[in-house]
Amino acid sequence: MPLIVKDYSWTQTEALVYINVPLKGVTVGKVDIFSTDEYLKVNFPPFLFEVILYAPIDDNKSVAKIGNGVVIFTLYKKEESIWENLALMNVDKETLQEKREHAVLKAQEKAVADAEAKAIKKREDEKYALETMMKLEDEERKRIEEKKEWERRRATEELELWKEKQRKEEEEKKAQQRREIQKLENEKKKKNETKTHSKSVPECPRKRTMTKTGKSEEISLPAPRSAGNIKIQFTPRVFPTALRESRVAEEEAWLKKQADARRAVNVDVSELKDLKEEERNPDWLKEKGKKLFATQNYLAAVNAYNLAIQLNHKLPILYLNRAACHLKLRNLHKAIEDSSKALDLLTPPVADNADARAKAHIRRGTAFCELELYAEGLQDYQAALKIDPLNETIHADAEKIREIIQGTVPDS
Amino acid sequence: MSTPLEKPQIISHIQKSLNYTVFDSKWIPCSAKFVCMGNFPRGTGVIQIYEVQHGEVQLIKEIEKAKPFKCGTFGATSLQQRHLATGDFGGNLNIWNLEAPESPVYSVKAHTEIVNTIDGVGGLGIGDGAPEIVTGSRDGTVKVWDPRQKDTPVANMEPIEGETKRDCWTVAFGNASNDQDRCVCAGYDNGDIKLFDLRNMSVRWETNIKNGVCCVEFDRKDINMNKLVATSLEGKFHVFDMRTQHPTKGFASVSEKAHKSTVWQARHLPQNRDIFMTAGGAGGLHLWKYEYPAQRSKKDAHDIEMGVAGSVSLLQNVTLSTQPIASLDWSPDKQGLCVCSAFDQTVRVLIVTKLNRV
Repeated sequence: MPLIVKDYSWTQTEALVYINVPLKGVTVGKVDIFSTDEYLKVNFPPFLFEVILYAPIDDNKSVAKIGNGVVIFTLYKKEESIWENLALMNVDKETLQEKREHAVLKAQEKAVADAEAKAIKKREDEKYALETMMKLEDEERKRIEEKKEWERRRATEELELWKEKQRKEEEEKKAQQRREIQKLENEKKKKNETKTHSKSVPECPRKRTMTKTGKSEEISLPAPRSAGNIKIQFTPRVFPTALRESRVAEEEAWLKKQADARRAVNVDVSELKDLKEEERNPDWLKEKGKKLFATQNYLAAVNAYNLAIQLNHKLPILYLNRAACHLKLRNLHKAIEDSSKALDLLTPPVADNADARAKAHIRRGTAFCELELYAEGLQDYQAALKIDPLNETIHADAEKIREIIQGTVPDS
Repeated sequence: MSTPLEKPQIISHIQKSLNYTVFDSKWIPCSAKFVCMGNFPRGTGVIQIYEVQHGEVQLIKEIEKAKPFKCGTFGATSLQQRHLATGDFGGNLNIWNLEAPESPVYSVKAHTEIVNTIDGVGGLGIGDGAPEIVTGSRDGTVKVWDPRQKDTPVANMEPIEGETKRDCWTVAFGNASNDQDRCVCAGYDNGDIKLFDLRNMSVRWETNIKNGVCCVEFDRKDINMNKLVATSLEGKFHVFDMRTQHPTKGFASVSEKAHKSTVWQARHLPQNRDIFMTAGGAGGLHLWKYEYPAQRSKKDAHDIEMGVAGSVSLLQNVTLSTQPIASLDWSPDKQGLCVCSAFDQTVRVLIVTKLNRV
């Protein structure tokens, strides 16, 4: 049970009431004041001071000062009068309770109303600030636009003026030209009368290409340059697309992959363990095969190509070259086989491998003809012609085969 | 607030939407007219002549021909004749009299593939020497033509036998300071820039800028070579100082990255050779000023002269379109007036202000 404080003191004037409540040693921090228009409570444990006021006061204006061991209330009366007592007397417990509850309710309502009022005010302030900002920015923009418009208008006017000037100059020029023509015609007439052929009469008036000063059109321009030819070389580039720095890394990676794919596919075959390092490279073997073919050592060339194919059976060029070797060795069936294999590998047919495909067709065609399978041979020659229609030798050979088939020329 | 408005402003004065793809636009010298060249959707070529009148462009004439036009120039005609030299998709070089366009004044099958680029020198009262036209094509050759000589070029820069061809994307004349001297600079799609000397018929300098070269231009055609701007893919451009050539290092250069996409064109202001505008693949235009270094040449370790490149500063930039601006041309008569065309089928007349105060 809190201790009720009874040793407070109070004074009053017409409009004000002063209440002095001693704090009895309780610290300032522990003092809690609750007040409404009719009810006043100061709670400083273990003490309690409450009073139901004689008459209503203006809660908003009233002030409480806490310090120096006392709380001093300065209350503004709602109605100016002299109170007989500070508190309402003859109050029973029930009325007191009622009043207290009423006071609490009122206080709560007031708090809510205050909060709302604050929120509304804040919103309005913000709206105002935003509107002012927008107005400022609009003005700024309008100003810039006006400046631009002004510049545009000025430029248009200048342009129109300049065009006018141009037009006037044109007219002047034309007028002057006419005058000059007149003058020259007069001169001509005079010259005709004196019967001297003056070569200095320019032909310009008819062409109307005179300059303002009437100079002859034949201001000597230098003769056309003597033809020259400059041969140039480009920085090498594999791809047909334009060079872009950001793509260089990708392109390099692709080229490297292509190069790696041409290396030995399966290097750990047992027979190959005793091969030298360079003999494991299909490219090197291909070069070796070519050299052997050139020196007419066809069997050795075939061996080289066999080994190369063992290492990498996906290179069409190896089959192609081996077919040529077999042709020379008269292993016609093997030649046909190898040409067919090469053609298989040379799909899809693109411009890049046109030469290779033409060669494959020619070799296979030759082999068929040697085997007297002329129809198949002609088919292959025609395919080769389709790829390379400008080749004379293919034409000639195809003709020969056709004649043989038709039986006009006896087979030799 | 006052400093931003002291910079040159690029203002879009007139915008005209066209019904065809326009590849090139050029001012007709000594007039307020310009031509647009392009490609109708039906596959034929078109040249339209517009006149700037009171804030609008009026179509004066439209000429339709069999093959689409890729590029054109007035550089090689006299001021009186003002004939337009064009290159088209079929590899033909034609010179048209715009008053009588039924048949060309000069016509030749210049290349086997599309003529990508064209330039002219010796006309318009600028410089001395014979009027000449140079064309560059996808067939890898660069040919120089004289309108007085039929059928054969006066110079042919072609790859040696057996060499794979690279597309030539741009050509420019320069160093035409007297009757004899003349240089042609060509840029290719593999990043090569080659400088040909027509007096000696030789390659004077070559380099590779690691990106396909979209446009080369000398700052002036009719003086000793001073500066060369080369723009490329990947948003880069290089400015070469062409006054001092080092035997091994070539010309000094400064490079700049701008536009974040292909830089399609660079054009110098006819009235001030240190100001140029670049047009980008994202529809933007950047206005640049070149500042010379304190000393334009210095001696290297072996006591040989080499050039020193200056610096480039951005004066202004603006984005006009979402599509690349493929062509740009300054008016030689009115400072700051320029016409540009973009792949969104519009041609725009722009005004650049305050250039006299830069």
